[in-house]
Amino acid sequence: MKKFIVVSLLVLFAFSPVFAQEKAGVSSAAVTAEPAVANTASTASVASGNNKEFGVYSDKGARDNHYIPSGWMGDYGDIKLNDQSTDNPHSGKACIQFAYTAKKSQGQGWAGVYWQNPANNWGTKKGGFDLTGMTKLTFWARGAKGGEILQKFKVGGIGMGTKVTYPDSAEVEIGPIELTDTWKQYTINLAGKDLSYISGGFGWVATADLNPNGCIFYVDDIKFEADLDIKPEARKEEAMPFYVYADRATINNHFIPSGYMGDYSDIKCDAASKEDPYLGDSCIKIVYNNKVSQGSRWAGIYWQNPANNWGTVDRGFNLAKATKLTFWARGAKGGERIEEFKAGGIMGEFSDSDSGVIGPVVLNKEWTQYTIDLKGKDMSYIIGGFCWATNLDVNPEGATFYLDEIKYE
Amino acid sequence: MFFRPGRERKVMRKIYSGIFLLLITAFIMGMGKAPVVSKVYIRKFDNGHYQLIVNKRPYIIKGVCYSPRPIGKNHEFDWWSDPNKPWITDGRLMKAMGINTIRVYQTGQNPDDVKKVIRDLYNLYGIRVILGHWVGYWEYPCPLYGDKDFQDKIKKEVLDMVSLYKDEPGVLFWVLGNENNYSCWGHVNPWSSDDIDKEPDPQKQKIMRAKIYYSYINSIAKEIHALDPNHPVALGNGELIGLDIAAGACVDIDLIGCIIYRGKTFGNLFRSLKATFDKPVAIIEFGADAYDALLKKEDQNMQAFFLESQWRQIYQNLANDKEGVGNCLGGTIFEWTDEWWKYNESDPQGWGVHDTESNWSNGSYYFDITAPKNMNMNEEWFGIVALSDKIEDGINKRLPRKAYYVLREFWRNPYRKIKGQKPKWTYKAKKTEKIRGQKIELKSQP
Repeated sequence: MKKFIVVSLLVLFAFSPVFAQEKAGVSSAAVTAEPAVANTASTASVASGNNKEFGVYSDKGARDNHYIPSGWMGDYGDIKLNDQSTDNPHSGKACIQFAYTAKKSQGQGWAGVYWQNPANNWGTKKGGFDLTGMTKLTFWARGAKGGEILQKFKVGGIGMGTKVTYPDSAEVEIGPIELTDTWKQYTINLAGKDLSYISGGFGWVATADLNPNGCIFYVDDIKFEADLDIKPEARKEEAMPFYVYADRATINNHFIPSGYMGDYSDIKCDAASKEDPYLGDSCIKIVYNNKVSQGSRWAGIYWQNPANNWGTVDRGFNLAKATKLTFWARGAKGGERIEEFKAGGIMGEFSDSDSGVIGPVVLNKEWTQYTIDLKGKDMSYIIGGFCWATNLDVNPEGATFYLDEIKYE
Repeated sequence: MFFRPGRERKVMRKIYSGIFLLLITAFIMGMGKAPVVSKVYIRKFDNGHYQLIVNKRPYIIKGVCYSPRPIGKNHEFDWWSDPNKPWITDGRLMKAMGINTIRVYQTGQNPDDVKKVIRDLYNLYGIRVILGHWVGYWEYPCPLYGDKDFQDKIKKEVLDMVSLYKDEPGVLFWVLGNENNYSCWGHVNPWSSDDIDKEPDPQKQKIMRAKIYYSYINSIAKEIHALDPNHPVALGNGELIGLDIAAGACVDIDLIGCIIYRGKTFGNLFRSLKATFDKPVAIIEFGADAYDALLKKEDQNMQAFFLESQWRQIYQNLANDKEGVGNCLGGTIFEWTDEWWKYNESDPQGWGVHDTESNWSNGSYYFDITAPKNMNMNEEWFGIVALSDKIEDGINKRLPRKAYYVLREFWRNPYRKIKGQKPKWTYKAKKTEKIRGQKIELKSQP
């Protein structure tokens, strides 16, 4: 079997994770710390006393605020927080206003905030709550204008899969969500989840791609609830077409180009390129240079859900209705060779249910549509929506190429 | 001498009886000497399920890949002729565990030695042997499957093997190749031909190579069937890659032997195979290593966890399981004993050292995937039986790992556990294992 190592390494480029956590790039200095209101060490179940609700935030200084919006992530310099905004709160005297400028102050292209307990706790301190018995988190949100797109809202996930001493016991997300200009309640279904230790009570993430000019939005009345009528969420079959990438700044993009592989420093990926898109106002531009920064001589990117998910997070889409994946591609010069384009194929604790592959593909200078045939495949659980990989043996000078309209049909 | 008529009849009756007894005895003795070859075939049910039949009875392959190389020896060591007969000790342990089959990748150089091993395992322990052939995969400079002379040479080797061993009662079936399909994709041992070189589209080149390769395998399978009607022929394929092409070019093989490393699950393998190439499948190579590359220590629990999970899926996809696909015939675990020479095969000094370095990566084996550079697969630690440097009965002492005992229990009553869907025990990472992972530079996205 040793003789198959080469095969394994080639096949398993998909498995060589460049693991990431959202807290990467976070500066603890960028925290609007408040004193922790609640018990910072208790892990006794909050539902043990027949509590039907457990607050995250209701009003500034409220006694039932159990978490603090201290965990600023990504381009934290792009975030402004007003935690006593009186601009039409949903209830009470105030709500929280966030302004995200999308200036990429830290070069990340995304930003977000976690409500933590205690403040600034990234899993290094004991402070989470045992929320066993709670079945959902509800919150109210609105955009300043309407149309603002939040990549996700989430519960838990702090420190999971990393070396921290006190990782959260669950991570649940919803999104992307396009906000309206009026208050709307959103629900994160937690039924069936292990909520025995949650230090990241709530969080949101926005990206520059989805909000190129930034956005202002409001949240209010965030709380956990013990609703016995809510059932564990079944994974629904997604309707077709189902986009991996349609355009920049669209809620239709369901996967994120986060899985950089091989010589990952040698890749630049611009998901908002204006250079002759095939359709819409933008396409994806990939520049792969030949510096061999990590010594691999090959590189690639996986589009994942959620970002950086190498099969460690149970968040695959059910794409069972798909019979093919189509995409458009062109080379900057023509003749660039991509060894594989792939749908699915991520293997981990939560593996993709199947995969489809084409390649090698020699790109034309003109836009050309390619198809990965998925007939007979089981696409009922897909974390890795799309992938490309190539190497310097077939592209000695590197390669620049473009992708657009990547979708399951 | 005169006899009276009555006495004469009596004497004649005695003579006839004697002759009859002699004939019976001769017949019985003759039968004892002639090899009794088991008829092995695959039955297809009306519901599309498949079952391996041996001596008219259903046979679930509960096997291991067998390469009993002692510490300090590499792959060139001809264990078939080992005077210490490791298969005697191993066969006894296998039988106690519940193993009924071994798979060997290629027969040894001396046919008498090979027959001796097959007969010992079968006669002493009832263990049958799957005999394989590399089908020229490692020929220098590459396997030229498009070359007629190469084809003829390799085909002759395979047919010679079949001729030599087809009458051995312990033979279960033949396996042609072991992941040779990867050569068509250029991943390992790439080869080409003039016609392929003329094709500018690299995708079409792959398909051309695959058609040549699978057609060639099919031609060998047909000739084996003509030579030996008693044993099925398997195609030894890496993953399911290329089987859509094999479906059109390799129709005369009887089953697919898949080499699969997908961690705790085989995923959609059984269903996918049913959809693309409706042949029965034996998982002829799968398993897990017993070394945690992250914590840098042996972890028998981890190996046992993966193996039990894999076997549960095999059983769920045997014939007549209501929920499974019904196309699985069983499997052979990689592998019986550790092989200490594998990490750096070019260094004889290393053959006597149980290396802990990993040389490949697989995210499906997720407990230690955050080891440096994600290198988590330890090639020298795949045995369900470890080797000791102590010598016992002339061979390295065998030390069964936890997987040995877990699978023994599983095989004693596999269906009870399947119904409950819960193994008797589960693998839980120790506290120190939860605190795993290393910071890897990343291009982080939300």
